[in-house]
Amino acid sequence: MQREVGTLPLAPALRARLAAAGFQTAQELLDTGPCGLSKEIGISREEALEALQVVRQECHGDAARTAGGSGATRKCTALELLEEEQTQGFIITFCSALDNILGGGVQLTKITEICGAPGVGKTQLCMQLAVDVQIPECFGGVAGEAVFIDTEGSFMVDRVVDIAAACVQHCHLIAEAQQEEDLRKALETFSLENILSHIYYFRCRDYTELLAQVYLLPEFLSEHSKVRLVVIDGIAFPFRHDFEDLSLRTRLLNGLAQQLIIVANDHRSAVVLTNQMTTRIGQSQSTLVPALGESWGHAATVRLIFHWDNSQRLATLYKSPSQKESTIAYHITSHGFRDVQPPAVTHSTEGTELNPRKRPRTEEEKQ
Amino acid sequence: MDWDQFDLNPKTIAALKKADIKSVKEVLNLSGADLQRLMKLSSADIQCLLKTVSHTLRRNSMLTALQLYQDKDHFTSQHQKLSLGCSVLDNLLKGGIPLVGITELAGESSAGKTQIGLQLCLCVQYPYKYGGLESGAVYICTEDVFPSKRLQQLIDQQHKLRADVPAEIIQKIRFGNSIFVEQAADLDTFQQCITRRLSLLLARGMVRLVVIDSIAALFRCEFGPAQAALKARYLQTFGAQLHSLSTKFRTPIMCINQVWVEGSRVTPALGITWSNQLLMRLMVSRVSLPRHSAGVASHCAGSMRTLSVIFAPHLPPSFCYYTVQLEGVKGTK
Repeated sequence: MQREVGTLPLAPALRARLAAAGFQTAQELLDTGPCGLSKEIGISREEALEALQVVRQECHGDAARTAGGSGATRKCTALELLEEEQTQGFIITFCSALDNILGGGVQLTKITEICGAPGVGKTQLCMQLAVDVQIPECFGGVAGEAVFIDTEGSFMVDRVVDIAAACVQHCHLIAEAQQEEDLRKALETFSLENILSHIYYFRCRDYTELLAQVYLLPEFLSEHSKVRLVVIDGIAFPFRHDFEDLSLRTRLLNGLAQQLIIVANDHRSAVVLTNQMTTRIGQSQSTLVPALGESWGHAATVRLIFHWDNSQRLATLYKSPSQKESTIAYHITSHGFRDVQPPAVTHSTEGTELNPRKRPRTEEEKQ
Repeated sequence: MDWDQFDLNPKTIAALKKADIKSVKEVLNLSGADLQRLMKLSSADIQCLLKTVSHTLRRNSMLTALQLYQDKDHFTSQHQKLSLGCSVLDNLLKGGIPLVGITELAGESSAGKTQIGLQLCLCVQYPYKYGGLESGAVYICTEDVFPSKRLQQLIDQQHKLRADVPAEIIQKIRFGNSIFVEQAADLDTFQQCITRRLSLLLARGMVRLVVIDSIAALFRCEFGPAQAALKARYLQTFGAQLHSLSTKFRTPIMCINQVWVEGSRVTPALGITWSNQLLMRLMVSRVSLPRHSAGVASHCAGSMRTLSVIFAPHLPPSFCYYTVQLEGVKGTK
């Protein structure tokens, strides 16, 4: 009730008039009433009524929020944040080397950007993640669903089918090796059709459609609360032509980044973006750098750069708040995104292969 | 823009008209704060406007991957591809050329790129059942004269190449009538050709394949190293326009490109700016086989060529051999 007039969601012109007339808190407005208000600041009775309605709704909302204890401004300690982060899920990539340098996999609530030249495997990783996000919890996954926003038309469903089939097969092998009932039960719903039906595909043909789609994401994610991954493949394509005014582009990209951060946080999802590479012409040589400019570099929390070394594909972790910069090699097989060497024997009862998160659970089992 | 047809508060519609905002694109290009200022509305109203406008633009746009997979409709299915007219080559590409996106065919001169381009112009005219799209093709020449004699030869020999198609169907197709040849030797003519001629032919449903022979020739002389940025702009604009036409009309665009040879390494021309526009890259080259390699038909060792997949979202890097015969391009097992 003591809320300041300047913080109320009214039209700016109206706020200015209220301030000029000397109103300071929401309570003063409510006490004046619509007739008094319309006389004091010279607006019509309807406008005054509307404004008061907005004020009442806001105050009501505030009261509910403070009563409930949670709300827009939540206070918590760094320890609480740390504990929350450690229980945060990771989406595994099936390439254990990449998962290791990322600290477990692609992290939920963060934006991860994958940059690379054409053909190096960015879309392959995105398709792999759209499948891996659905792995059931008993196998070490996050049991989520995926949103795939495609701006280039490179989402080929037949390839996703291959990747999904290989993932299901992998889980079947683990279930057989470990002979546990709940693993087998989980596999009943983890089938090819099920996986495909939980990848929500959107095709955006230009940047306007992309902007509109991202405005609609929060609502979509509220309706589909199991979504844990949002992929935008690729973010650069619609923004790299058609822009005479680069400052408009920077502003739109910043807005997009802010909205994606909110989506990642509010809905506990990982956001994965793919970006192109462009040549930066230096004084003596030219280098390949991620496209969309320097300011875009701040948008993502984690940045991976995929590149070639002769015929070996390499992934470099270029930016991360918690992991150090390192480079690993990876492979793209008919089954999807994989390590270069197959990992050591997996069929032990320790079952640590799929995800380090799984270790605590099996230890409890032994009790 | 008729704002009245949107599901908006009359106050918001009035504000839009007063602020002279004419399109959905303008609304989305402005920031929330700018919209508030221009339209003199509260942030809640602006949020409502943005959501409504976004909904209208993106109505019914969601598909699940399962729906994509199960879609068997000619006009929308991802499974549909443009056949190359030879089962060996089609197997390499898992069906043929994808219908949406730019496919590049790069290689040294006389490796067979034009031959494959011509063959596709004939293949596209066959019925859907035989891997075609029942429509014509546009062939844009940027340097050489169009090889009409060779085209006529190929047409005469279609029955031999396409033994899988009944003779009466082949006879009914008037191949020559549906291939539109355009000459575009410089950038401006090319630009005109894409924006006017191509759009028209595609909109009328007369063509469902575009072959550009070759894209590299347009950029050969006109750009020195100082004009790299300008060249990149042209490439991005062309790429975007072609991509947009391809998506709108579900029409494959086949761009023939040249290569730079540095020692043993062969790289397609036009650099990373162009590669970023591509869905799929194929390379052709002549093979110089050692004289005593068994297993390969030794009598045509001199004219053996390889077709390789360099990158594609749905194909592994792989290759196959082929030869250029009188009746066309045929893969060898």
